[in-house]
Parts: sequence; C-alpha cells; structure tokens
Amino acid sequence: MTSTPRPRRLAAMIAAGTCAALLAACTGGTSVGENPSGANSGETVDGTGPVEGSVRLAYWGSGPRIERTQAVADLFLEEHPEVTVEHENADFAPYWERLNVQASSGNMPCLTQTQGRQLNDYTTRGALLPLQPMIDSGAIDVSDIPEDVLDTGRGLDGELYMIPYGAAYDAVVINETLAEEAGVGLPEEGYTWEEFGDYLREAQEGLPEDVKAANLGGGLPNYFIAYVQGTGQDLFDGNQIGFDEQVLVDYWNFWEELRADGVTTTPQQSSEEPDQTEQRYVAQGRVMVDNLPGNALTPAQTTLDGLAPGQQLTSVAAPWGEAGQGNALFTSGFSIPANCDNAATAAAFIDFWINNDVAGQAFASDNGAATNSRHLDQQLEDPELPDEKQHELGLYQEIVEREPVSIVYPPGYQANFEDTFTRHWDSVAFGEASVEEAAHAFYEEVNAALAAESTE
Amino acid sequence: MATLSTPAATAPEPASHRPAAPGRSRSLNRRTREAIAGYGFLAPWIAGMVLLTLGPMAYSLYLSFTDYDLMSSPNWIGLGNYERMAADPRLASSVLVTLKYVAVSVPGVLAFSLGVAMILNKGMRFLPFYRAAFYLPSLIGTSVAIAVLWRQVFGGDGIVNAALGTLGISGQSWIGDPDSALWTLVVLNVWTFGSTMVIFLAGLRQIPTDLYEAASVDGAGPIRRFLSVTVPLLTPLIFFNLLLTTVNAFQAFTPAYVVSGGTGGPLDSTLFYTLYLYLRGFANLEMGYASAMAWALVVVLAVFTAALFASSRYWVHYGDER
Amino acid sequence: MTATATSTDRAARDHSAGRSRPPRQIFGRRVVRNRLLVGLVRHATLIAVLTIVLYPLLWMVGASLRPGNEAFGTLNFLTSNPTLENYREGWNFGQLNFSRFFLNSLAVTTLCVIGNVVACSMAAYSFARLNFPFKRIMFALMLGTMLLPYHVTMVPQYVLFNELAWINTILPLTVPKFLATDAFFIFLMVQFIRTLPRDLDDAALLDGCGHVGIFFRVVIPLSLPALGTTALFTFINTWNDFLGPLLYLNRPELWTVTLGLNGFLDATGESAFGPLFAMATLSLAPVVGFFLVAQKLLVEGIATTGLK
Repeated sequence: MTSTPRPRRLAAMIAAGTCAALLAACTGGTSVGENPSGANSGETVDGTGPVEGSVRLAYWGSGPRIERTQAVADLFLEEHPEVTVEHENADFAPYWERLNVQASSGNMPCLTQTQGRQLNDYTTRGALLPLQPMIDSGAIDVSDIPEDVLDTGRGLDGELYMIPYGAAYDAVVINETLAEEAGVGLPEEGYTWEEFGDYLREAQEGLPEDVKAANLGGGLPNYFIAYVQGTGQDLFDGNQIGFDEQVLVDYWNFWEELRADGVTTTPQQSSEEPDQTEQRYVAQGRVMVDNLPGNALTPAQTTLDGLAPGQQLTSVAAPWGEAGQGNALFTSGFSIPANCDNAATAAAFIDFWINNDVAGQAFASDNGAATNSRHLDQQLEDPELPDEKQHELGLYQEIVEREPVSIVYPPGYQANFEDTFTRHWDSVAFGEASVEEAAHAFYEEVNAALAAESTE
Repeated sequence: MATLSTPAATAPEPASHRPAAPGRSRSLNRRTREAIAGYGFLAPWIAGMVLLTLGPMAYSLYLSFTDYDLMSSPNWIGLGNYERMAADPRLASSVLVTLKYVAVSVPGVLAFSLGVAMILNKGMRFLPFYRAAFYLPSLIGTSVAIAVLWRQVFGGDGIVNAALGTLGISGQSWIGDPDSALWTLVVLNVWTFGSTMVIFLAGLRQIPTDLYEAASVDGAGPIRRFLSVTVPLLTPLIFFNLLLTTVNAFQAFTPAYVVSGGTGGPLDSTLFYTLYLYLRGFANLEMGYASAMAWALVVVLAVFTAALFASSRYWVHYGDER
Repeated sequence: MTATATSTDRAARDHSAGRSRPPRQIFGRRVVRNRLLVGLVRHATLIAVLTIVLYPLLWMVGASLRPGNEAFGTLNFLTSNPTLENYREGWNFGQLNFSRFFLNSLAVTTLCVIGNVVACSMAAYSFARLNFPFKRIMFALMLGTMLLPYHVTMVPQYVLFNELAWINTILPLTVPKFLATDAFFIFLMVQFIRTLPRDLDDAALLDGCGHVGIFFRVVIPLSLPALGTTALFTFINTWNDFLGPLLYLNRPELWTVTLGLNGFLDATGESAFGPLFAMATLSLAPVVGFFLVAQKLLVEGIATTGLK
C-alpha cells in the first residue's frame, strides 16, 4: 500500500470527491434546509379542528420533571382517549442539540418546549407558528395569564410564538444559618448593590476560615441581567446591546473588588464548579451567598441537609438598582412548529396544560411558578405545600407585583451573549485583561455576532 | 524454521503474482475471478459508501461553501467561510490547543499501553484479571459520569490535591485553571489507554516465543530482545496505533465537552478544534462554517496519513512479504 | 542471520551429549532463586498502580453505595453506612425500568457487533489479499472516511434517515454496521491480515480452494484475535454511544443505557447523582463481562503461525 506516488493518490481522492460532490449537489440532499414549514406554509393555523391522532411532546428534565410531565399528559389522555402522546426528553444541553438537528429536516415535535432565551433562534427562521390565531379562535385560553408574563413569549416581530407555562426567576440564595453566625442576618428588602457589597464584606469577617461569603458572580449572565434591569437600561435594543459599556464595567469592577478583598471564591474554583444544583458551592455549605434559579432552592436544601445538617437556605430577590428591582422573569413554555401536522391536538394539549386545575396541581410549578394566576393561588393555599416551594412561589408573586420588564432576546442570544460573557469575565478574573478592555472586547464581539446572525 | 527476515524495502506484491499458468486464457480468467471475488467481498462496503457515506460527505463539502444555518436554505458564498477561518482568533487558539494535546497525549498513550502490554504479556497468575482491570478506564471514558469523576480527581478538593497535601504541597484546582486544564485532559486520554493496550497485547501474542528464546540464548538482554524481536514484528500494529491515536487525538471531542461542560473553558484552554466546530455548528447555528472547519481538518489529516503511509515503507514489516 | 541456526545447533548438541543446559539467565548474571518474592513484589506493584488508575471508578462505586445526598461528601470510597437504595431507585427509573434500557442497549450492541465483524472482515480480506481495479482509490477513500469529524455528516445523515422514516427505530444505528461503514475496523483487520504469510493461502489454493474458501478456512481462523478485537471495540463503542441514540431513539421505551444515565442529570432541576452512579456501575458489568469473554479469544487465541 505504499508504492503509489503521493500525487497520484491525492489526485484520485480529489477526483472521487468532486464527482461525488457534484452528484450530491445536483440530485439528492436538496430536501435539507428547504422551507421547514412543510405542512403549513401560507395558511393561518388557528388550532381548531378534531383532537385526534398523535403528537410528540418534547421537553427537558429528568426524574421528577419527567414524572410530573407524564402525569399531566396522562390526565389529558383521560379526556381524549383517541389521542396518543409520544414523549421525547433529554437533559437541557442535549435537548437543544437534538432540536436543532430535528429542525434542519423539518421534524420538530408538535409540542416543543422552549424558553424566551432561545425562542428567536427559531422564530427568525420561520420554524414556529404564530399562536395568536389560536387564541383568537378560542383553541387556547390565556385569560388567566398576566399580560407581561404572556409577553415573554413574543418574538422580535411582536407575534406570540410561545405560551409560557412556568415563570422562573434567579434568586439570591443565602445560607441563613451561616449568615446568623456571622452576625449579618439577611439583607433588607430594597437593598442596593452597594449595600450588597458591604453586607458580604461584613459577613466575611464573621465566617469560618474555609467559607467564603459569596461565589464569584462576575461570569453569571443572569446575575448581570439583574444588574442591568436595576439601572433601568434595556438589555437589548433590537439585535444590538441596549446598555452602556459603563454598566458592564461597573458590574465587573464590583466583583473584582470583592475578589481582591478575599470575600469570594477564586476564579479557578468558580470555573470548576459544575452547573448541577447539587454540586454548587452554596448547596454544599462552602459559600454563604450565590445566585441560583428560584426553583433550585428545594434540591439545594436537600443537598445541604446531607452535607451540613441543620443549616438552612433561603432565597431573596436580587439587589435593587436605581430604577427598581433587578429581577427579570425567565419563562418556559410550549411552541408549535410550522411543520406540525396536528396543530389542533397540540393546541388542545397546551390549553389543557395551562388551564386544567387538576393538571396544574399535578405539575405543581415544577418548572417555575405556574403562569396561570389561579393555579398559583391554589398552590399557595395548599397546606401540604413544602416550605421551600411556598417560599419560592411567594417570592415569585412579589416579583410579579413589581412589574418586571420583559426581555426580548435576539436570535443567537445563548451562543453569542451568554458564552461570550463568561469568557470575557474569565479573561478579567484570570488576569489576562483589564475590566475596561474586556468589556470593550465583549461589546464589539457580541454586537458583531448578533448583527451577523440577523442578516442570514 | 522461522527466520528473522531482513527489513524488506519492497512493497507488498500484488496477489496475482503467482506461478504463470499455462495458456493466456487461464491467467486472465484467474485475474478476473480474483477481481470478482474482490468486488464480491467488498460489496457491503461499496453499498454502505454509496448509500450512507458518500452522499452526506459530499453534501457536507458543499455546505462548507454555503451559509447554512440548519433551518433555512443554504446560500452559496464561495470561499467566505474559509476566509473567515483564516481571520478567526478563536480558531487559531483551538488549533494550538489541539496540537498541544496531540503532541503530548499520543506518545503518552503509545508508551504507556506498550509498556503495560509488555508487562502483562509475561505469563503470570491472575493475568486475565489484571488485563480486564487495566482496561476498565476505557470502558467508562466517555460516560456522563466522567465529568464528575474527573473533578473528584483533579478538582480543587480532589484526590490529587489531597495526596499533594500529605507531602506538604498545597495544590490548586487543576480543572479550573486555564494553564492546567488541558493537561488534565491529556491524562484522561492516557487513562483510557485500554484499547491501544489490547491491540498491542494481541500483537505481542502473535510473536512466536521461540524467537525470544533464540535471541536470549544468543546472549541478547531484555532491551536488545525488545529492540530486535518485539519492535520489528510489532511495527504493523505500532503503525496502526500511531495513526489511529493521532487521528483520534486530532478529532477529540467528548473529553473536552464533558469535562468543560461544553464550553471549552476556562478561557478556551480546552477548546479543541472539533469542540469549536461543534459549537459553531450547533450552538451558533453556523453549519456552513463548521463544515468548512471539518474539511480543513480532513485535509490536514489526509496529508498526515499520506506522509505516515509513505514513511511506513521504511520501518514497517508486514508478514506477507516474499 | 545465523543466530537461530547457531542456537538450535547448540541445543541439539547439548541434548545429544546428554548434558542439560545451564539454568536460564535473567536479571543479568545472577540467578534469582526466590521466585515467590519476585512474584509478590510484582503483584504488589501492579495492585498499587491499579488502585491509582482505578481510583475514579472505585470512588464512583463507593458513591453509589452512599445515600443520595452524601454522594459528594468525601474522597474516600469506603463508607460507614452503605445502602443499596441508589440501586433500587435507579433501577425503577420513572415509569420505565432500567432493565428496559439494558435490553435495548444489548439488542443494538449485539446487532452492531455481528454487522461489524461480518462486513468489515469481508472488506478487509478484499483489501488485504485480493487485487482488483481501483483498489487503491477505494482504500484511500475508506481511510478518508475516518478523517471527517462525524458532526458534519450528522445532519445530512439525519435527513436521510428521516426521509426513510427510520427515526425512532434502531435501524439508523445498526444498518450502517452491516454495510461496513466503520473504517476503523476494516483498517485494523487489514493490518492483521497482512501479518499473515501468504504461504498458507498458496497451500489452500493448491488444495483447490477458491478465494471464498481461503477466506473461511485460512484467513478467518487465523484472524480470531482481530475479530475478537473488532467485536470487543464495537461492543464498547456502541454500548457507550450517546449521540446516536440521542438523535434517533426519541421515545423513552427505546432508550439505551447511555440515554438512561443522562436522564439522571438535570441542570435545570433535580439531578439524581446517587442513582446515576449506581446505574453507571451496573452498566459497566456487561462490558466487563464481554471483555472477559472476548479476551480469551483475543489474546489466548491462536499462538504462532505454525510455519515450521
């Protein structure tokens, strides 16, 4: 296998490759990337029609989430025995991977779970159906969902593409036991970022040697969103960044100063920390304060009970800014793809999920507080609701009362904003760039990427 | 009796070099029959290539000249992707990371697996148990559990730091630090050396023991025996392992994805080339760019493979030489 | 080279002279008498090295025996209150049993092993022993398929399988194996087969065997180590494959073990690490078992080429 001179073999490979490429480009493979609307291009789908046949239901999560989702689906099937529901679930990251591959061949499930952050990746490419016609026709009833919560399901063009069913928020989780031992207690309502910094510094003096007051938060996008919301500036202006560079500089300086004062974990420690709640430092009693999703309070407490029995976690809202509260809502909901061939059944399912009381109880706000305010009230009145859940839902209500600003994410948000944010923070934290340099580099990179994304 | 043949610089002769059969018609017939047999045995592979491989491969080459984003029709943009690649700083850094990884882990894996294979090749009690035990890490190497396990070893509170602590050295988080994160992945690659070891073991087993006896009776020590008996006869497999380990190292994806949580962090220190390719394709929805990256890699690997094959003439000894 | 002639002659002379040869010399000039000590030292060293190498796995087994929320408490792999709760919880995963996932994995893996062994050995025989037009181009093409990262062919292949309506079946995972798409194993077996001298082929030819006969009577029996290696690696790769099942096996009833394991992780809610470690430990069992069986074939198979 060695006596052929190299040029001849290379030439043969190139020839073979070119022939095959020409063949493929001319004949097969053209169905890839064709208008994925497939079944529904051109017509308005209003979701009315017979509820029958089968639908695929895709969602992320494991264990308890799967059980609850199946419970709701089973209840739906009791009412519509002629329907079959096929479940497709995966962990959060592989979920989107698979969804993208499915989208590429027009094979997205009729009931696709989405979030505001990724929504516009699909809406700007026409992969999802506008849902307003289904509301207008009465197929889906959203009268119990607060207006600004419903708005989180809108795309860049203002059309509604997702019906949110669960509203999550990011909370500041505090280890109450450690806080009391350190002599600082909990921050007061309305506390500002400056007060937050002082609170942490004071706490650090009273904490044991190996416990830090805060986990380094400079690289957490959601923490930063709370900061921006507090300044009153917009996160995005269309498909460009809507806030001033100075906001980012201030935010990163805040954390750099805390780090220099020894109040936070080291950059190595924070970059090594995995995403799962059970492995976060605050759930293991190694830091006193951190930013976690609101519904992580329950698993975090369970973990803490095993590692440091007796310690109690609680959650408070994010610090306030000059313009008001920092918390934003991150909603999850259902969308119907344009390639769905059974929109009527999908619409009926969504309507059931949102409005049916028994279903609401079965799901029990597992993915953020139920957006249906009637359901939320019912759950809060339930005496058997566990304490942590009670606290989580109560905090949600407070946040909603303060009318959080709804964020519209441009396409490519998750890839272009979130990952870039962490990367540039790391360059600051590991000493490779100054705060100003990194903030500027971040600004340029994200704006360029978001602009490129939208011209495709 | 078996002889140690001199390293032959001759290429393997075509199989049709047989004693000439009387009459031209008979030898043509034989050649045709051989060709038919050749194609016959190759039929499944040919079917697979045509139906399942060539199409997608060619299509991905086509995509590298487009701006395909997985959901809209691809538009032809010529060399646009390749031009962007040349100017992309993250791509350059991912190339560097990958090269470092290949340069260190390939020799590491080969040396380690050959070493352990040689130790295990001697008859000893419980040998099957040891073999299986050393193979275990490879079995779990790509599992989701690896992320957790590797943190238990190299994390800030991992066993390595605990061990260093007993020696009085205070360690850092090896996984969380951009300067050391890549080397933890190199160790991970060497840790999963089982497959390479097994291949070497199988090859070592095929070396007739009387060759060793003969050499040792002649006064050859262990090192000389290794160099004159083991290595020459093992060269086809060394070649194979070298090629495959290198190709795999260039294409490494899962270790970086799993350990860095899919980010290539911290600070892109574990951003392997294929991980970056994957992120551009599936996270940024820039499938055209990702395809261009992939084909650039193919060219590099093809050149490397061709060079390795060309060099094999000088150091690999096959048994089917005459 | 006359080394062998000399040594054999000497041995023959010694034998015929009734003299026994001096004891084999190892470790230089000194003959080591205490074999037991050497053996003990070797075993001790190996076990020490093994403990280091296997530490992560030992930790995982230990964690699987600890109560769920204590999984990460310690670096030790021994525990004070062992429990089998994780195994029970993990096995009864939601509405489906983990046994279902094991069966699915077993089915897919078995088919893949058979497919690869059959198809790749055929292709390898063809490349290694037979001559036909365009052979070199095709060999280069085969090698070329190994060089392309699979992520870029993933999407066109998915589209293809979607058009064939093979999604949610095991066909996309198994049929390619029967069509020898795993170039790695073709190449591996080519290298193995090429180490076999052709004299046996010629002998068989003289006996009247056609190429098919040579394949079944000469090449296959002598390639058992290579076939065993192929079977083993295919088993392991398929057993641990995550991306393939993720894309093509959407319904939970079809899930393989890897998807099942991933199902314990939830970055957005509650992960179940205890059951994850328990099931991951269990999922090692079939692979280890297969390895123990295959390694006999692999390494203790056929010894020498018997050319004397």
